[in-house]
Amino acid sequence: MSILLVGVNHKTAPVEIRERLAFNDEACANGLRQLVDGEIVREGLIVSTCNRVEILGATASDQLKFGAGRITQFLDTTGNLPAGFLEAHLYSHANEEAVRHLFRVASSLDSMVVGEPQILGQVRHAYALGVEAGTVGRVLNRLVHHTFRVAKRVRNETGIAANAVSISYMAVELGKKIFDSLKGCTVLLIGAGEMAELSAKHLVNSGASHVIIANRTEEMARQLANEFGAATVPFDQLDQVLHEADVVICSTGAPDYIVTEARMRKALDRRRNRPTCFIDISVPRNIDPAVSNIPNVFVFDIDDLESVITSNIREREREAERAELIVQSEVMQFQQKLRLIDVGPSIGALRQSFQDVARAELARQRKRLGELSQDQEAAVESLLMSTVNKISHPLLSQMRRFYESSEPDVADVQKELEE
Amino acid sequence: MRSLLLAVLAAYLIAAIHSVLAFVNKRRSLQHVAEWSIAAGFIFHTGTLVADWIIDAHYPIFSLRETLSFLAWALVALYWLVFYRYRTQAVGAFTMPLISVLTLIAASIGHDTITAPAAFSATWLFPIHTTLLVFAYAAFFIVFMASVMYLLQERELKLKTFGANFHRLPSLTTVNEIATSSAALGLTLLTLGIVTGVIWSSSRFGRFWRNDPKEIFALLTWALYLFLTIYRLTANWRGRSAAWLGVVGFGLVLLTFFGARFLGSYHVFG
Repeated sequence: MSILLVGVNHKTAPVEIRERLAFNDEACANGLRQLVDGEIVREGLIVSTCNRVEILGATASDQLKFGAGRITQFLDTTGNLPAGFLEAHLYSHANEEAVRHLFRVASSLDSMVVGEPQILGQVRHAYALGVEAGTVGRVLNRLVHHTFRVAKRVRNETGIAANAVSISYMAVELGKKIFDSLKGCTVLLIGAGEMAELSAKHLVNSGASHVIIANRTEEMARQLANEFGAATVPFDQLDQVLHEADVVICSTGAPDYIVTEARMRKALDRRRNRPTCFIDISVPRNIDPAVSNIPNVFVFDIDDLESVITSNIREREREAERAELIVQSEVMQFQQKLRLIDVGPSIGALRQSFQDVARAELARQRKRLGELSQDQEAAVESLLMSTVNKISHPLLSQMRRFYESSEPDVADVQKELEE
Repeated sequence: MRSLLLAVLAAYLIAAIHSVLAFVNKRRSLQHVAEWSIAAGFIFHTGTLVADWIIDAHYPIFSLRETLSFLAWALVALYWLVFYRYRTQAVGAFTMPLISVLTLIAASIGHDTITAPAAFSATWLFPIHTTLLVFAYAAFFIVFMASVMYLLQERELKLKTFGANFHRLPSLTTVNEIATSSAALGLTLLTLGIVTGVIWSSSRFGRFWRNDPKEIFALLTWALYLFLTIYRLTANWRGRSAAWLGVVGFGLVLLTFFGARFLGSYHVFG
């Protein structure tokens, strides 16, 4: 059996094309039933996300070319596109390359933001849909299980997802670099925008215990306060809480500086010099840049956050290089496994052919035995069959054991063998 | 005991290389190798010191070789303490190279034939005096190292460069705590070390103060770290300036440790 992968992703096709090819759950099931004909494409799976549409198939090794053609054609019809239109956008991988591609996709190495965590769930969902549609067989079953294993390894053994790459999560990351743990920290929100809310949510999830909200419209502040169990203060009484805050997130639409150097110096005296981290996501800025001249006060404006994100992405890319090595070694391991899969069906066939030989021999010699009663006839046949079976049994069961030991799920295989 | 010390050196070198690589690469497997080889080195090292003690029949802090070896051993012990308490892997990358160098010098000096005058081993006060001070020096090195880490990390945060150091160094709170607690530990040990030295000196020579360069430097060091500790206590967090003091203070420690000898001190080492 050969593995085949044909598809488009965000690097090869613009959204106009990807959206035409995208499958929702229902279309996916229907499409799979249509695509997997048991002749050329034996097994199939569709991974459809906003950044990629990929079709994974298993075909007999000698029909690889037809398989690819058939999948391409299937995509053409799905997208209602003229034949050949997709050619420039489509990539098609076979065998080792296809396996590597799937491993890389599930490990989030092929994602727009390397290391993003959603893709593994999306692959899992695609697998579930395939199982439901009944188009996942022996080969893809094993491939997908192995894929999950690789993704898990990459996640655990590299820092590919270690550093934040979104602005709302930056507050947590920077807070941790200053306070180590955010447990027991106090967060002050100046302005109750959506981004501030999201950042505060991340901070609270990471252990921050108090949230204080200061907003010009108190109604908004109170609404948000209910959500976090936070305290609110009127905007003009900011000085009364400024010294309590470890992390300040500022996102008002005010045209001038709200926290000035003098104001912060006073607050810092009251908090006995403990460090404060300001995240200023407002434009124009609300925190006077001079505030960052004060020792133990760290101010990050929107541009700084962007630059941390850039640095984190670089860091992720460094980690991705190590992930590639893991993928490489796993591809090799899987290829070995795949060779064993091909042995599986031949065990049954071998047993059958042994019995066929015995029956043919019996038929050839039958005449020489002369007239036999029904009992005698049955006895001869059972003698022959049991001899063949008993001789071949140790050999076949040895093969089967070897085969099954390479299984992700023995029960699955037994079910498949019974069919 | 030289061959055993070479084995210790080998273990420390492996640990140093792996700690530095683990710091750069952030690979857990490298870190594990480093930890195991530090543990192995530490066990061998303890064995070396005990063997030295038995064979040479004096407490193994007297000659330069013994003192350096003991200092390295004390640093490893403190490394474990810090690592166990704060789980910061970066500490290994900063301490192991120095520990290796100290062990290398100790191993290359070879066995010295100086035998300590009977007076030094006759009383238990002298070994306590030297042991306390060696551990104090080790603690001040940890202060120095944590202060350097603090300054590097603070620089990253203030300048917003966010380079490799930003990702690899521990948080400001952690290094600040390491520096504060190590300074307090070092100060306590130094105080006790000076006190035992004074008592020993007065009981043996009948005078507790000899205007020896080492004594003067030690007193200066003591004053500096006392100031540092009080300075940190008066405001909850001094950050940068305290970190600078930790760095500068270590210069004085080095002067006390090595410099005094060149100024004609009657102190040997330790």
